[in-house]
Amino acid sequence: MFHAKKPSSMNGSYENRAMCVQGDSGLVLTTDPKPRLRWTVELHDRFVDAVAQLGGPDKATPKTIMRVMGVKGLTLYHLKSHLQKFRLGKQPHKEYGDHSTKEGSRASVMDIQRNVASSSGMISRNMNEMQMEVQRRLHEQLEVQRHLQLRIEAQGKYMQSILERACQTLAGENMAAAAAGGGGGYMGNLGSSSLSAAVGPSPHPLSFPPFQDLNIYGNTTEQVLDHHNFHHQNIENHYTGNNAADTNIYLGKKRPNPSSGNDVRKALLMWSDQDQDLSGHQPFDDEHRIQIQMATHVSTDLDSLSENNCGELLERLSPRKSPLSPMLIQGMNSPFG
Amino acid sequence: MTMNHPYDDFPHLLFSNNTATATSTSSCVEQHDGISLDMDWDCDFHNLIESMMSDKGATTESPPLLPCYHGQEGIFNSSSTGSSMADELDHDVEAGESKGLRLVHLLVAAADASIGADKTRELTRVLLAKLKDMTSPNDRTNMERLAAHFTNGLSKLHKEANVQRQYGPHQHPDHVYDQVDVMLAFQMLQNMSPYINFGYLTATQAILEAVKYERRIHIVDYDITDGVQWPSLMQALVSRNTGPSAQHLRITALSRATNGKKSVAAVQEAGRRLTAFAESIGQPFSYHHCRMDSDTFNPSSLKLVRGEAVVINCMLHLPRFGHQPPNSIISFLSEAKTLNPKLVTLVHEEVGLMGNQGFLYRFMDLLHQFSAIFDSLEAGPARGFVERVIFGPWVSGWLTRIAITDDGAEVESVASWPLWLATNGFKPVEVSFANRCQAKLLLSLFNDGYGVEELGKNGLVLGWKSRRLVSASFWASCESSE
Repeated sequence: MFHAKKPSSMNGSYENRAMCVQGDSGLVLTTDPKPRLRWTVELHDRFVDAVAQLGGPDKATPKTIMRVMGVKGLTLYHLKSHLQKFRLGKQPHKEYGDHSTKEGSRASVMDIQRNVASSSGMISRNMNEMQMEVQRRLHEQLEVQRHLQLRIEAQGKYMQSILERACQTLAGENMAAAAAGGGGGYMGNLGSSSLSAAVGPSPHPLSFPPFQDLNIYGNTTEQVLDHHNFHHQNIENHYTGNNAADTNIYLGKKRPNPSSGNDVRKALLMWSDQDQDLSGHQPFDDEHRIQIQMATHVSTDLDSLSENNCGELLERLSPRKSPLSPMLIQGMNSPFG
Repeated sequence: MTMNHPYDDFPHLLFSNNTATATSTSSCVEQHDGISLDMDWDCDFHNLIESMMSDKGATTESPPLLPCYHGQEGIFNSSSTGSSMADELDHDVEAGESKGLRLVHLLVAAADASIGADKTRELTRVLLAKLKDMTSPNDRTNMERLAAHFTNGLSKLHKEANVQRQYGPHQHPDHVYDQVDVMLAFQMLQNMSPYINFGYLTATQAILEAVKYERRIHIVDYDITDGVQWPSLMQALVSRNTGPSAQHLRITALSRATNGKKSVAAVQEAGRRLTAFAESIGQPFSYHHCRMDSDTFNPSSLKLVRGEAVVINCMLHLPRFGHQPPNSIISFLSEAKTLNPKLVTLVHEEVGLMGNQGFLYRFMDLLHQFSAIFDSLEAGPARGFVERVIFGPWVSGWLTRIAITDDGAEVESVASWPLWLATNGFKPVEVSFANRCQAKLLLSLFNDGYGVEELGKNGLVLGWKSRRLVSASFWASCESSE
């Protein structure tokens, strides 16, 4: 039931302009030249209830809302605009969990909701929904992380086993060939034992940075976490001791980046200071292989070797999309005559 | 469209009469295929080029291509006179960058010449010889090493063309790496880049979601390689249901006759390994091998079981050293549609398929693609090994493939695989939030610079900086039930 509100208790900005009267229907209308409906808390609550009954703001229409609310004097026009505002108020928060949002848009979500829902009850209801949505997404992300870890492990185990088998087969063949007096493969001097020593107890071939050190949550959830005063600790602790005991997926720090492409001079200086493991064609003997096997697990500072960004060179050369000049295109049809 | 002729931007690459280089260049000549390159690059080469160019009907606006050596003393000519260390380093820096650019020019010129008429054959030979001098797979910069691989590839094409391709388009790599080397390099590549695993894991995730409630799963794998994709699927299946609710997995792997006996053996070996692995983790599993004798796939040669959900798995992005005719893929997908698959996973490289574009355009695109991949690889001592074992043959394989234009049989008329699928009776299957999440997570384990984009509603693309590298998309046949 609506009752008249005294002008003094209304929104300050209207005080000077409007005088509100309560009509017969109980609606509060302003008396300025263009009578505007004032959406009081009670009226809005009724509106929200009606919308909920009708299955949400997307399903409800002004007509049906009008019927359900059953308030005399409430016109389609009023409901249309109010419903639109209400929908807008709801939209941004629904998308919260899906995209990363910046500070600005998050603030505006709040603003819109405050405009639409003048009661604090409304705001807290929306916040709950938001929280639930975010928590759901977060939970899903954690699941994905856990699954990915297990899958990578499984793949690594498989690859290791096939590599072992292949090496042993090859070593076996070579030993047989050597026994028969043949030349054997290039691995002629390799016993299977030394190679499986390299392949076997070495750290897992697929070693990845630990998940807890990574920013897997991305911007959205971090902001949300900050906003809701969640503690990162809670989530990280979820993962201590989550590693498989036998395979050594230690998941160290995130890999360092290679030096940025164009600083060739710096890279050259660094190059001349260091041992060049890559120099020359090495006959691929067992020692080299073992080195490589071990070395894949170690991110060293030799990472700076990859300088000179090919991509940028090509970009400078020609705009990628355009085909080359007519002169060059000439004769492109017949290959290799 | 304003389009710069590549050489317009670099006038310093024009012919320059730098006698100081004479000493260094003459030391680089060699006998090559019976044509003596013992000539003074500055003069004779220029004339040679000019004569060839005019034969080709070149317009005067295009400057003759010439390698210019004025910046190169720092690197090549150890007898550079009395310059200080700093000067040499300065030279090196400029030389490094300008050398890279020069290499690209030379490569493009060589590619262009290689498809020209007979008269440019000599030009090609000369350019390739030059490139060989300037590059090596062990050089220090990405561009140099990459150029070496491209040079090798082009050289091979050139040789094959001379031999009139009597062996067909198949690969005869001059250095066949041992199977163990290849496997090792493949494994290392997975540590150095998410390129391979992006395809595998994204597809696997989509499969898991599609078959969540199926009792029996049948995967038809177009190119199983070593079976590396499947252990993670098996692990996921085992962890989510065991015992009476266990899902039964069946994999049928195809081998194509065009790839020879080796591929049959490889497919069978993959089967043995997967069976062993499945047993070790307790996943109900069976494996079948289906031989495609010609390039046409016959679904009736598959063994089907009632009530099973069929999944078609098509990984086209792996380093391929042999030739993969698009017709065989087309046939496979068209016929597979009749099986009413619940899901079709397609992963392919973002290169090569360009409909009717010519060789040179595709060559440039290939260069861009591999540059991006090269730049994106994690550095490390193993890198040179991976580049030699995997990238060399990979580049050669691609070059052969794009060199084969419409002789009739091998037309790559497919502009893009997703487009083909969309217009041939397949409907898109949406990518889930979990899948997107997983992809981002995977990328976060590697260099910055990788990114994942959405490809419509049903796909994800892995890119490096601004270059798309590999995409994964998901489909179902239009008649299959949800």
